[in-house]
Amino acid sequence: MDAAIATKGLWQVFGANAKTALGEALKEAENTGATSEDVALGLRDKGLIPAVQDASFEVQSGELFVIMGLSGSGKSTLIRCISRLVEPTAGEVLIDGENILEASKRRMTELRRDKLGMVFQHFGLFPHMSVAENVAFPLKMQGAKASARRSRAEEVIRLVGLEGREDAYPRELSGGQRQRVGIARSLAVNPDIWFLDEPFSALDPLIRRQLQDEFLSIQASLSKSIVFITHDIAEALKLADRIAIMRDGRIVQIGTPTEIVLNPVDDYVREFSRDIPKGRHMTLASVMDPLNGTPPAQDGPALNTTMTLDDALANCALTFEPIPVRDGDGKIVGVVRPEMFARALGEAGT
Amino acid sequence: MSLAGAAAPARRRWHLSKGALAGLFALAVGIICILMEPVAPWLVSWPKGWSLPASEWIGDGLGWFLAAIKPAARALSGLLAYPMDAANWLLGALPWPVVIGAVTALGWYLGGWRMAALGAIGLGFILGSGYWAESMNTLALVFVSVPLALMLGLAIGILAYEVPRAKAAVQTLLDVMQTVPTFAYLTPLLLLFGFGPVVGLIASAIYAAPPMARNVLLGLERVEDEIKEAAIMSGGTRRQQLFLVELPAATTQVMIGVNQCLMAALSMVIIAAVIGGFNDIGWEVLLTMRKAQFGQAFLAGLVIVVFAIIIDRMSGALARSRSPRDMRVVWGLLGVSVLLGILSLGRLPDPASFTLFDPAAGAVDKAVGDFTAANGILLDEVKNGAMFYMLLPLRIGLDQAVLPFTWGFQWTPTHSAFFFAAAAALGGLFALRGRIATGALIGCLAIMLETGISQLPWPFLIAGAGALGWMSGGWRLTRFAVILLALILVSGLWERALLSLYLSGAAVFACALLGGGLGLLAAINTTAWAVLRPVCDMLQTIPLFVFLIPVLMFFQIGEFSAFLAICAYAIVPMIRYTRHGLVTTPADLLEAAEASGATQWQTLRDVRAPYAAPTILLGLNQTILYAFAMLVIAALIGTTGLGQSIYIALGSADVGLGVAAGAAMAILALVADRLVQGFAEERRHALGL
Repeated sequence: MDAAIATKGLWQVFGANAKTALGEALKEAENTGATSEDVALGLRDKGLIPAVQDASFEVQSGELFVIMGLSGSGKSTLIRCISRLVEPTAGEVLIDGENILEASKRRMTELRRDKLGMVFQHFGLFPHMSVAENVAFPLKMQGAKASARRSRAEEVIRLVGLEGREDAYPRELSGGQRQRVGIARSLAVNPDIWFLDEPFSALDPLIRRQLQDEFLSIQASLSKSIVFITHDIAEALKLADRIAIMRDGRIVQIGTPTEIVLNPVDDYVREFSRDIPKGRHMTLASVMDPLNGTPPAQDGPALNTTMTLDDALANCALTFEPIPVRDGDGKIVGVVRPEMFARALGEAGT
Repeated sequence: MSLAGAAAPARRRWHLSKGALAGLFALAVGIICILMEPVAPWLVSWPKGWSLPASEWIGDGLGWFLAAIKPAARALSGLLAYPMDAANWLLGALPWPVVIGAVTALGWYLGGWRMAALGAIGLGFILGSGYWAESMNTLALVFVSVPLALMLGLAIGILAYEVPRAKAAVQTLLDVMQTVPTFAYLTPLLLLFGFGPVVGLIASAIYAAPPMARNVLLGLERVEDEIKEAAIMSGGTRRQQLFLVELPAATTQVMIGVNQCLMAALSMVIIAAVIGGFNDIGWEVLLTMRKAQFGQAFLAGLVIVVFAIIIDRMSGALARSRSPRDMRVVWGLLGVSVLLGILSLGRLPDPASFTLFDPAAGAVDKAVGDFTAANGILLDEVKNGAMFYMLLPLRIGLDQAVLPFTWGFQWTPTHSAFFFAAAAALGGLFALRGRIATGALIGCLAIMLETGISQLPWPFLIAGAGALGWMSGGWRLTRFAVILLALILVSGLWERALLSLYLSGAAVFACALLGGGLGLLAAINTTAWAVLRPVCDMLQTIPLFVFLIPVLMFFQIGEFSAFLAICAYAIVPMIRYTRHGLVTTPADLLEAAEASGATQWQTLRDVRAPYAAPTILLGLNQTILYAFAMLVIAALIGTTGLGQSIYIALGSADVGLGVAAGAAMAILALVADRLVQGFAEERRHALGL
């Protein structure tokens, strides 16, 4: 089976005559064996801007694929290439095996009407339409009848928890509510593929966490194939099945959250994961020694390979006796169990 | 010259800044021209024999072309006569209670009681003035021309937006449509469409379309990218994206366009009255002005102003978000007025018989007469003083303007020598202190003052414009300015162009000083702005034409009156932009200045003024364009130069002269516009905006 989304050797170069310059550079690289990094350097010397360089990855059906990078790393350009909001300079974008870069205008419109949904960082709501009209807009493009549009719109609005605000206008909503409308609109036609361009970046931390959780629960029931853009490593680790890390237009590493935290390919990626509480993302499997000879006879706490280090530590600490705690005069005023340390520290990291 | 000041001190002596180079070049050309005058007089005044008969060529070429498309134009004219007649008949036949009721209801719908009252009182005033029929004729013209202008503007705006390659061409076209003086295209239109109101209709549609087109383009470009992308990702076709999402999302800007389009149409409809043949309110003003019935002219002018205010405020309300109104009030108002109209059918007094304000008009007449009689000497002194000591020297130079009769002594070559020596000393002093550009500028100004703008050597002027272009926008702008000015030079219209340049230059200079000062005052003193703001609003609402009435009342026909009228019209943008630029300095910059211990004056000079510079330059740009626009209208009350030529051409149906002079005028305006915009752009760039 084909991957839901695949890109092969995708380039986006900005500047005059970018297409010719890139074509020549790539042909030359084929002969000389130069890497894509060399090609990008050559283009920069000519005054061109290679915003996305040789991006190749696959997103499986139902997978939540996060692209993470700082601003200017090309992640927003990349998602616009995949959704063909900008025309990539070279490469292929396959949606269910179909190269959409060769699709006609009409075919592209069809794909967007039936198969693709997108959420934007600043919501992209139509200011002159009510919530219900915004959500129903993609259905209108499909040619659905007014009554059918309204009932489907109400259904999705309920899904994102905005029932009762159907007839409000975007300007009357808070940021969090606006993005709920954006999410509802992108889901209205029940697309297979869901693009989210930094959907929660413009929101307050509290609202952001709330929407992240709701997003995860929506995804749990809908299982879309998702490309999700963010600049926040914590968000990436929390949501992703797999993460691609971008730097200066290049994808430097693709891996599961654990792989990213545990085996960063270079200092750049390591720098990202440095502030991440490792105990919450690493599992025992990643630190244990393989069994050598007979298992230890000791009957310890119940541990398994998928447990995070935080949980494992707490479980291990359970085996210790309570320890007395004294005040300034040396009088015992309480007891502490080591397991309490582990839990408190684990919570502090959230 | 801030550019020279920006050069690093250490490199000052070795490295000339752009401004210094440009200034020195222009100065050198000027000095050479003056020194060479005795041996090569052609360096100063372009010999008549070298001029091409551009007017004749254009006249012949256009005449042939116009004759070719005349049948089509006449057919169009016939076609347009239908809606024209219908609107005319409708507004003329409707009993006035119905019209007043309808406008009041519209006012209520758009802006509640205030707007309804504005409509009712305004139309009541027009009714009472006795100019009802004339006003309805004007209104009919506006009603028919505006939809044309709106459609044209919308189409042009969308075209420029949809076809990026066409954008530059379209914008130039819009510039030309707006800078070619309105009178200039009345002449060919007159030949094409024949005598009658259709000419006014089409002229006003041409004049009113550009603001609509610009605002449509601006609005569409300003729609957030993500909104456009959301429309694409929703699977809309291009047409669906445009009409269902992008245009509606740009509504506010488009409505500003509608407002400006209406105002421009009204202004032009009134100007078109000069061709006559249509009993409208503009004609009435012209007629009474010619007969020196200032009271009546003033009254008719007020009717126009009231019209302008009603149209402006009501259409301005379109661009603001408004709460939904109770439609029952609208229907109620309409019902009552229709009922009144039916009940009183046949018994209504003829609106022309209303003369409520005639006593007032008479009183104005008398008051003006008394005032000018009592203060005639003072008024004459003001006028003569301004003419002899400011305008004339600017026009023909100190060497000719200084006469025993006015100044008390005769200017001689010795005076000139001293004058130039003083200027050279002052300029040299600046140059020695490192401010070479300022020094060169002083030299150029001295030449200008001594010879007079209308007698400036042509190489000096063209070199100066080219040097300014190079400073503000590089070689492209230089080429643009030099080629276009050279076109005027060889067309034989150079002398008249210089006369126009002198008058508008003097007015712009006065506006820049006074308007800049007032803008500064308004920026630091809120009370001053509270007073100035309604005045500015008012001055911007009044159609150009009306400015002529009050100056004519007090200063009669002449260049000084024209100068005043131009200033009154062109000063507003200078005030507005100066204030706007100064008050919109970001708060954190002001706080940083205050935290550094700057006084209010220091903050103004060192933080606000530099930050506001690009905005103020844009204001100056607007002032220049306004001055050129008014210059042609002012030809009605006595100016020389291109405006006069255009006006004469209109009277004698001389297409060649009219179009050539109009084109020359447009060239002056366009070159000035591009130069100032270049400087504004350069400043903005320097500030990283």
